[in-house]
This record gives sequence, C-alpha cells and structure tokens, in this order.
Amino acid sequence: MFPSGRRLERATALFISLIALGFLVATFDVRSSSGSATTVLRSGAQTLAAPVQGAIDFVVRPVVGFVDGISNVAGLRDQNERLAAEVRRLEDRLRETAALEQRVAELEAINDLAPPEDLATVTARIYSAGPSTFDQVRFIDKGSSDGIVAGQAVIDENGLVGRVDLVTPLSARVRLITDPLISVGVRVQDTNQTGAVTGRGDELLRLDMFDASKPVTEGSVVITDGSSYPPGVVVGFIAETKAADVGFVLRTTVDPAAKFGELDFVKIVVGWSPLDADPETGDRLIDPPSFTDPGAERE
Amino acid sequence: MTNGKTIIALGLVVGAVLIQTTVFRYIRPFDLAPALGILMVIAVSRFLDAEQSMLVAFTGGFLQDLLGGSPLGLWAITFTVVAFVTIKVRDKEVGGPPIILAGVFVLSLMGLVIYVILGTLFGQGIINRPGLIWHLLVPSLFNVLLAYPAFWIVKVTVRPQERSMIR
Repeated sequence: MFPSGRRLERATALFISLIALGFLVATFDVRSSSGSATTVLRSGAQTLAAPVQGAIDFVVRPVVGFVDGISNVAGLRDQNERLAAEVRRLEDRLRETAALEQRVAELEAINDLAPPEDLATVTARIYSAGPSTFDQVRFIDKGSSDGIVAGQAVIDENGLVGRVDLVTPLSARVRLITDPLISVGVRVQDTNQTGAVTGRGDELLRLDMFDASKPVTEGSVVITDGSSYPPGVVVGFIAETKAADVGFVLRTTVDPAAKFGELDFVKIVVGWSPLDADPETGDRLIDPPSFTDPGAERE
Repeated sequence: MTNGKTIIALGLVVGAVLIQTTVFRYIRPFDLAPALGILMVIAVSRFLDAEQSMLVAFTGGFLQDLLGGSPLGLWAITFTVVAFVTIKVRDKEVGGPPIILAGVFVLSLMGLVIYVILGTLFGQGIINRPGLIWHLLVPSLFNVLLAYPAFWIVKVTVRPQERSMIR
C-alpha cells in the first residue's frame, strides 16, 4: 500500500486523473480527422524517434543477419550431407558475409519486382515495427520529401503489403493488410469474381465474396481489383476451397503473398491513385494501353 | 535527486519501447515478442514513489501510443494501471523470486488484457482476433524470462537504496 493516507489520496487522485486524461485523448484521437493535433503529435514523435530507431536497427540488423546466416548454414549442412565438405570450406566466408548477402538479395529481389507497369515506385527500408504484437504497422525510411503521401499502396517482391497511413518528411507508417481495420477490394483471378479481403492479425486473411456464383479453389491467385489499390497486385492465394451457397456470402481464407515476418525492403506505389481506375473493371483510365494484367505476368 | 530518478526511469521505459520496435522486430520466438514496455513499467514502479511511477508509466505509454498504430492514450492508460497495481502490491512481496516472477506474469497479462479491452472499445477489433490467447500468454511469459535483467538494470540505475522501502 502507499506509505500514508495522504499520499494514498494524492496517488489515487493522480491515478484517476491520468486514466481520465487517457480516455479523453483516446476519444479525441478516434474522433479527429487527419491533420488534427494528434496527427501532428504522432508525426512529431515519429520524426524524433526515427533516427534513434534507425540507429538501433543499423546495429541490430547485421547481428541478426549474421546469426541467421550461421543457422542457415548449419541447417543446410544437416540436410545436405553430401555437401558437408563444401559447406565447411565456405563456412567462414559465409559467416562473414551472410548479413551482407541477405541485404543484397533482398535489394535485388525488390529491384526485380514487377509492379504494375509504368507506375512510379519508391523503394524504402523498414526500420521499425509497431510496439506491440497487436500493432499491424511498419515504419519506413521514406516520407513526404520522397513523394510519399497517405493512402499509397505498399508492395514487395511477393505482393501487396499494405498502405501508407501516416507520413512525416523523412518517414512513414505503413498499415499492413493483416490489420483488421484494412479491407482490400480483390478479384479471384480464376473466376474473375470480386470480393473483399480483411486482415485478422497474424492469421490468414478473410475473403468475403458477396456475389459469387462460382466456387473458389485452393491455390487460386487473389489480386487487387483496382478500387483502392493499383489493380493486378497479388494479395495472396486461396487457402481453402469454398463454394457459394445461394443467398449467402462466400467466405474463405487467403494466405497472404507477402511474408510479413521477413519484410525488409518494400516499394511504395507513388504513381497511382484510385481516381485513375475504372470503378467497374479496375483498369486505368489514364494511359490504358500501357497497362493490362501484371498479375498474370507475375504468375 | 527525485527528479533525476524519475528522468532515468522514464529513459528506461522509453528505451524499452524503442528496443521493442526495433530489436524485437527480428527476435520473435513463435512469431511473438515480449511486452517490454509493460515489463519496464513494473520494474521502475518497484523502486519509485507512487506519483513518480504513474507519471513515468503514463508518459512512456503515451510514447508507445505515438509510435504505434492504435488510438493515442490506450497504452498510456494500460501502463498507468500496471504501475498503480504494481505499487499496490510491491510491498506485499513475500516468498522470494517465484512470487515476484509470478507477479510479473500476472501484471503483464493484466496489462495486455486491459489493452485488448480498451482497443476493442476504441474500435481496433483486437478481441476478435484468432489466437488472441497466445498474444496474451506468450509475451507475459517472455516478460517473466526478461524480468531479472530488467530489474537489475533498474536497480543499478535508479538507485533503490535511496528509498527505504526498496527490497
């Protein structure tokens, strides 16, 4: 207990005041729109924290990469006995270069990525994650000074990652498609039928199709429909075959294409706006001949 | 001196939040990470006065809110409640390390449950997420594993000998 009755009173009063203040701030934040005081506060905090987080990340990344490299080498050696001698010979060199190789591979992969054609993208590195396992957000080292604005789609070499939802001059926050607050308009490539994918935290995404007349089959590619993200970006793959019951929503799960646990470099699509797309087909209204179906290419 | 202790304690909580967002992005056993901010609030609340503890907890939680994706104030409330309960129970610690570790587990779990409830009330939909129980239990267990290093860091930096009630 508190040392004395008076201190107890003071502490309890402070406790109640802080809780009330917390609720007030939370309510104000939820009710306020972008550009409000809370957004300015977030941007300010992010701007101040970004260099520190970047520095910590700069130190930690090679160490983790080094350890990963060692474990990978050990795993390969166990699984490939016939290569054991060669692994041993290269082990020392791999240990020294594993961290660097990993970064180079990721950069190469991201540069080989074929985003929707003729769309400008900006490559960024993730330097921080949300502070709890409930936060489905990542922070990138590019901001408004690089042409990033809130609402832009974020992709990696596998597919759709999320969208930018907060921007500072030098950094930005990306809300992942695994966030329950994010819903992505999608099209199942096999059937060309549309639906909406919703995040469920670390679990598979949920796909709801309100007007499905054909079944969806496991492994089918799910791509963005162009309603709020650039069309044709791979979102994931149907995880469970499901048929539509008459009068009911077809609901199944989608295995996201992006590997969120391994995200490092991403691309922000800066050259596309939902206003550029035909609301029915998702095709671009501007320069239509130059953009057909990049999702098919990626397959 | 009291202000100095408060600032150091706040620095520790802020450091924990920054480490949580960077180091534990990579180190994620079972794809989960400890709730380092909560752990550090528990640790500093064992050594600071009640008012100081709650102010540090609220400020640290507010920073975590600013660096996260949920509405502002949710982590601030969570940390403050954790600090308040820690203060209430800290002088009742009996039975040595097992009880202290059990206390860390319960307080961490309580903090995460409070956050889930608040997050759900404020439209984050956390309570409906699949596997929620693991997101509550596993980070709390990680906190137990990290409790002694955290307590040691606080002990050597916040100078517990300045406060007679410190163990």
